[in-house]
Amino acid sequence: MSVVTVQLGQCGNQVGQQLLHSLLCDAQDGQRNELCTASRERFFHQDTHGELVARAVLIDMEPKVINQSISRAARSGMWRYGETSHFSQKQGSGNNWANGFCVHGPAHREVVEELVRREVERCDRLSGLLAMMSVAGGTGSGVGTYVTQCLRDVYPKSFILNHLTWPYGTGEVIVQNYNSVLTLAHLYQLSDAILVHENDTVHQICSQLLNIKHISFADVNSVIAHQLGSVLQPALTADSQGAYSRNPLGELVSALCCHPEFKLLSVSSIPQVPLASMAYSSFSWPSLLKHLRQMLISNTKMEEGIDWQVRPPAAAERSRSLTSFNTSLANVLILRGKDVYSAETAGFEDPALYSSWLSPQEAFSVWKSPVPFNKYEKSATLVSNSQALLRPLDSMVGGAWNMFASRAYIHQYTKFGISEEDFLDSFSSLEQVISSYKELR
Amino acid sequence: MQRSAAAVSVEVKQVIAALCRLLAATGLECVPAPEHFRRAKFGGGPAVEDQFWQLLANIQQKCGFVSCEPRSQLGGATELRRLVAAGLWQTGYHANWIYERGGGEGGEGERFSSKDLLLALGWLLATGTLEKLLTQRVEQLDKTLILTPSPVNHRLSTELPLDSASVRRLQWLVGSLRHQGRTLLSMQEERTCLLHAVSVASLPSSVSPSSTDQSSTLLRKQLCDLLEAYLNWRQVEKVFWTWMDSVVDGHLTDPVHKKPTVAPNGRAARCHHGYCGLEKLDDMLLRLPTRQKGQGRVREAPEGRGEGGLLQGRSDSCLPPLSCPPRLPCCPLAYRLQTERPVRHSSPPVDGDRGGTPTAGGLSASQAVELLLQTEALLLERRGRQRLANRTQLQEMIGRLDELVLIPP
Repeated sequence: MSVVTVQLGQCGNQVGQQLLHSLLCDAQDGQRNELCTASRERFFHQDTHGELVARAVLIDMEPKVINQSISRAARSGMWRYGETSHFSQKQGSGNNWANGFCVHGPAHREVVEELVRREVERCDRLSGLLAMMSVAGGTGSGVGTYVTQCLRDVYPKSFILNHLTWPYGTGEVIVQNYNSVLTLAHLYQLSDAILVHENDTVHQICSQLLNIKHISFADVNSVIAHQLGSVLQPALTADSQGAYSRNPLGELVSALCCHPEFKLLSVSSIPQVPLASMAYSSFSWPSLLKHLRQMLISNTKMEEGIDWQVRPPAAAERSRSLTSFNTSLANVLILRGKDVYSAETAGFEDPALYSSWLSPQEAFSVWKSPVPFNKYEKSATLVSNSQALLRPLDSMVGGAWNMFASRAYIHQYTKFGISEEDFLDSFSSLEQVISSYKELR
Repeated sequence: MQRSAAAVSVEVKQVIAALCRLLAATGLECVPAPEHFRRAKFGGGPAVEDQFWQLLANIQQKCGFVSCEPRSQLGGATELRRLVAAGLWQTGYHANWIYERGGGEGGEGERFSSKDLLLALGWLLATGTLEKLLTQRVEQLDKTLILTPSPVNHRLSTELPLDSASVRRLQWLVGSLRHQGRTLLSMQEERTCLLHAVSVASLPSSVSPSSTDQSSTLLRKQLCDLLEAYLNWRQVEKVFWTWMDSVVDGHLTDPVHKKPTVAPNGRAARCHHGYCGLEKLDDMLLRLPTRQKGQGRVREAPEGRGEGGLLQGRSDSCLPPLSCPPRLPCCPLAYRLQTERPVRHSSPPVDGDRGGTPTAGGLSASQAVELLLQTEALLLERRGRQRLANRTQLQEMIGRLDELVLIPP
């Protein structure tokens, strides 16, 4: 049961490469036969020489990043990308979503579909498609959205998980909010779940937890790959009956995103420490889970600066909205490492954490694996469908709306065929998402 | 549907042959020859009738409409006919002869013919009996099939809470089911692939077949034949239904129907079930929304109901599917509004219910048009109000944003 990764645009190709690399490094580490086999089957296939080839398709409108990713994978000596499983052009999308969605996407639809189809046919059973991209630029967001739309058409019954990297709030691209709004509004209709990493949060993790002085994109990407990898690496789930789950995307989506109005997932991991100090650190499950729970309810993405004052509201206070408390719709807790079966997860089964209309039994699931992940003796990752992304989403939509109200840069979009009506549609559908999450209690 | 008669008759013969092959492949023992179908259409006589009685009995027995073995019953043919009639009645086929003849016996053939049996067969096929037979047979033949348990009929409480939390919960559960369904589908696909691999790998061993191999090969062949027969049938099914239409037409224009409808014993036993049955059958053939059946009564000329209305409906080939919910329940579709159809032949009013002026619940064409116009005006007005409200809301939203000037689009 395998996952086909579709890497789109600069960010998607970099993060995707890093993710596959860390998954394989982790699976190769030490004596972990069962997990290793499951992980390899999930993300790689073997060619005739026994070499591991990623079940991935690389798509970008510029060749540079794709070439880098391919050569980096090959240099590792452990795995490589398929020789013909990439597609690039000479001209980028110029950070314009409309250019990617209306021009580049449709122009190369057949090639891209063919690439994905080849990878899908190589799988004994397709667990789903993982599309990775950023929302700020033009290719990842525009072409990525278009490709997701094509994938939905071609594989209507497969699970499609979109991994999105949200830009820095301070701005990488002047029209990033436009691109983000258009991407999110479209993906909300197409994707089964949208897993989000915010650059700001990841940057903070790099600087405060990992003590990196000059943070590069590679550092940011490796944090994302670590968190995402701990979600996607095989684990024992309730449905998997003692063997490593063979349906990662399906189980993730079924556990978290059954409601069509709630598809935004955030990830938080604990612990995250610099490699150098790992040898001197020891962790206990109760402390890790206590921190992680507080991170969840206070909506903190790091174990530093947690607001310990936040408490779940009592039943009587439910109707009032407490701004600081983060209500969850559903959570998946993934525990990996030593003594994992002794970990007590009752703290996450508190009904007060969840909406009134879903019981904790339905809203909370635990995946476990006794195999440590990425050199951490014990680690816990929480994938949460909660109000956590409400604030950044709100400010993203607000920013785009401010620009739209003065019609700034709109002509850059209309000239490629995205009308003001399309913008308004996107705004209204995201406003609906925001209001759904706001009223979650 | 207007083709040359010769071409149609050749084609029909092949199509009926396809149906016969399929019926035989589903394991029915008493399938009449294709020629008997044609003869049945034109009142083939007792020999043909008997064949169809047997076929209907066989089908009902396989599908479990009748629980006991008809042929083993005392009374032989009579009993069998009674059981068939009872079985047909259970499936919702309420033809006259079922009531009048006590299951095909009694009133000695003045109104009953093999055509009625043909129509009954048409009814059974149209209500999904064929698929039922097919499924049963496939389950018998395909040993690799993991039988899905028949869906449990969850009774929902009639007092469903309608607050938003319950709705959300319901939406979540529906989504959850959908995801489960997808997972199951992908499992099924994987299993199919594996089975294919296994069967391909085991092919060379069939060079020296053991007895079990032989039997499983035979089963597999039967299964392939069955599925092939079904596919062939599906491709040409349309022609069969066109032909069935002509049987219905023939039945309606049949002189026996012009006889006075008072029963010999004098009581007003002439029940209209037969026409309901026909009408239902015809509606199924036409894939009409069942709602329109009632509206079929709203005809100024009662004689037009049987011929004019149905023919008019038939000429329209792209009709909404059965599941299509009617938006405006009281407005009949346009093609049903042409009430003044030329009547091909006169026949007396079938029963009191149909005769005379339109019933109180009916609508004339002009009334319907008026109603539609009213509805349209209402909807337009509602749309206007909604637009205005949206605009105001948008402006309020913009007003709340500080230092911002709205330039309306």
